[in-house]
Amino acid sequence: MMADRYFNPFQAIDINIPTEFHEEFTRYCQRSANAIIDQSPFQRMVDLWFLSVCVAARQGLEPADIAKYDTRKIIDGSIFGSDPWRVHALMLIAISKSGDVQIVSEPRKMISLANGLAVAGLPKVIDMLKDGDAEPIWNLSDAIDVMLRKRDVA
Amino acid sequence: MKLLRAEFLNFRMLRDLELTFSSKPDRKLTVIRAANESGKTTILHGLQWAFYGDPALPGKGEGFRLHPIDWKAGEGNRVEITVTVDFELTSYRRASGQMREARQRYRLVRSTSEELDSRSRRSGSTVKLYKLNDSGASSFGAPEAFVNDELPPELREVFFTDGDRALSFIEANAAVSDKRQRVQRAIRSLLGLGVIDDAIKHVHKSAMEVNKKAKQVGGDGELNAIATDLDDMEDKREELEAQLEDANQQFRAFDESVNKIDRKIDAALQKGDKEKLRKAINDTKENIKQLDTQLEAANKEHSELFGSRSIATDLLAPVFADAFERLGELHEQGKIPSTTIPVLHECLDAEVCVCGEALRAGDPGSDKRRAHIHKLIDDNRRADEIQEIITELYYGAKELQGEGDTGSSAWLNEYTKVVERHDDLQELRERTGREFRKLEKDLESLPDTDIQGLRETRRQYKARRDSYLSKKSVAETRLERLRKDQDEMEAQRDRFLREQKKGTRILAESQVTQDVKKVLQRAYERITHEELQKVSELMNNIFLEMIGADPDQGAIIQRTEISSEFDIIVYGPNGRTLNPDRDLNGASRRALTLAFILALTKVSEVEAPNVIDTPLGMTSGFVKRSILRSAVRESAQLILFLTHDEIAGCEEIIDENAGVVFTLTNPAHYPKMLVNDPGVVERKVLRCTCDHHKDCQLCQRRFDMETDLDVAS
Repeated sequence: MMADRYFNPFQAIDINIPTEFHEEFTRYCQRSANAIIDQSPFQRMVDLWFLSVCVAARQGLEPADIAKYDTRKIIDGSIFGSDPWRVHALMLIAISKSGDVQIVSEPRKMISLANGLAVAGLPKVIDMLKDGDAEPIWNLSDAIDVMLRKRDVA
Repeated sequence: MKLLRAEFLNFRMLRDLELTFSSKPDRKLTVIRAANESGKTTILHGLQWAFYGDPALPGKGEGFRLHPIDWKAGEGNRVEITVTVDFELTSYRRASGQMREARQRYRLVRSTSEELDSRSRRSGSTVKLYKLNDSGASSFGAPEAFVNDELPPELREVFFTDGDRALSFIEANAAVSDKRQRVQRAIRSLLGLGVIDDAIKHVHKSAMEVNKKAKQVGGDGELNAIATDLDDMEDKREELEAQLEDANQQFRAFDESVNKIDRKIDAALQKGDKEKLRKAINDTKENIKQLDTQLEAANKEHSELFGSRSIATDLLAPVFADAFERLGELHEQGKIPSTTIPVLHECLDAEVCVCGEALRAGDPGSDKRRAHIHKLIDDNRRADEIQEIITELYYGAKELQGEGDTGSSAWLNEYTKVVERHDDLQELRERTGREFRKLEKDLESLPDTDIQGLRETRRQYKARRDSYLSKKSVAETRLERLRKDQDEMEAQRDRFLREQKKGTRILAESQVTQDVKKVLQRAYERITHEELQKVSELMNNIFLEMIGADPDQGAIIQRTEISSEFDIIVYGPNGRTLNPDRDLNGASRRALTLAFILALTKVSEVEAPNVIDTPLGMTSGFVKRSILRSAVRESAQLILFLTHDEIAGCEEIIDENAGVVFTLTNPAHYPKMLVNDPGVVERKVLRCTCDHHKDCQLCQRRFDMETDLDVAS
């Protein structure tokens, strides 16, 4: 039951993203301890994926239709067990976006919705990483800074 | 494995010596009291030789004499040398649904002979393994393989530890790559990664077999061409891997040469009036190293911000607000029934019902009401699953709501701090870099020809090192490219196979090999990461306990870890790294290496002895006793060689934990160090049954007697 703080309803669900984004994931996520952090700001792939979800939700983007894409698995759902707050966050996003609290009993639907948002948000996050004169970590930080200071959310 | 007994015949100064070891679970400590030059290191060598043969001897046994140095021609020109070790293995098997423990004793005998001519030739050693039982002993084959399974040779330095040599895991004199390699080798062996390595190689071979079959099916068409290309790629891959390994080795060798020259320059600068410059250069170098570590830590902190909870709560504040509004409505409508459970629990805890009636435990009047409330809790537990999830979400996710509600951004605050710290460090790093370049110029202008010669040699070594680094990077890049091309080619080949009538079976085989390869590679990475974490955490706990450091009380040593690059790192306040050679005292350095060794043994779950020579050297007081206590606790069987000085102050711990204590004496110490003449002409180690409290005619030492006389007078 949920009261267990380590309960992860997404344990058995894989997260697949369109193949066209795979290179960006390997480019911007740290794949070894020797990674250059300035160039690859995300410690794990799930961090880039989750930030894309957040940006899409923040900007009021519609979830993308994943069925249209050729996809590839990048994240194992078990990873949410190590960040229990993300489980709650995904549930809250699902409730808000679907307008239906009943969705909390359907982990696949929740992940599908979040993944749709991630795919919609990914191009934005990639732009944030690239746009600017500095290394990706600083470009991204500046863009998030601006986004958070802007109160007029879509 | 537990050691029971060892017998040495003509093994250097161990002409005829028998040792016994304690194997009792509640008395797992054996103490061998021995002064310096009493055969402690020789026993360590002898035990390792018994298990692993000549490769375990110094210099892999090359030119290392085994027979006693004072062997006389009259005793014969051929010396038979034998070491016998009795040990016990515990096995567990399931029988009638229960685990049954069984113990079996074995005897390992290694023997060789040396001819006493001018070259002291040694014949190849013979090793035999016997299973011991009540009726005798029966020998069985492949003793080397048996020993390698029970005590992996790569972990030899972990099981048989020389207190001083163990420091090589952290000592600054060793090249970084060397230290890493030692730690990495020990950990890889501990995890049995060699098995996965072999399996990956085997799968590679299978994949090539599948490719050959595809070539045959392909005839002269495109499929054949692709399969042929894949064959060539595989050859190229092997070639590139060999190049990479070679570049790695060469890089390490030249890196070590650069380090050696640095030490020579350092020594040359110590002479004359250049000491000040030497100190300034070393201090600046150390500062740069510290600042680089701190900058790396600041970068990591920055990178953590993108996976932080605050970035999600700040960005999602409007989304969360909307969701919480919906949950709040349900709450207000009483549609989140599971809230009853916490309320009911609160009533039980407070021993007062919502209606004001008493709910005292043990009170007959209250018992009925308590039972009713328990029933209500049970009923609610059976409520609808969705409501339960929503209830948990409503209460459990409060912190996400709270953070987003404040109006100020937690992420922006964290980000501002990270930027400030990073910029300060960057500025300091640039300034220190400028200082270092100025000092290098000062060094350049020194008229000292020795130093200039050394610097020139250093430049040459560094150029070679850098050229191999470059070769390494090129090989790595080409390998990555090749692997990517191989993947694409394989996918293309499989597409063609799908179109072939005979291709289905080959395609299935190809799929299986690819899947198995992926699984093995993932398992390899995962095991390395997780087990490394375990060793790292346990080492930290044991080490902090040994030195009595409490990070919460502002201790200088805050924590220690094994990085993913296999470096053992010690942290001081504010995440500053401490240099084990300069910032740790001798006792802490010893504690750190012992903590590493004990953590490795423990995480490996290999029941094996830890035989440690002079583990308490350079330690005293609390740390000495604490190291001993921790070592006893963490080890499955602990055999310690201790000098009289090391024992002083630890008698009580030995009383509590030791099952066997005895003393070794070198008769050659008479008359300078021994009180009585042992009456032995040969140079050989003698054993007596004296424990850490007693002395006898044989082992009484001069220092002891003088002390007694002082006390008596």
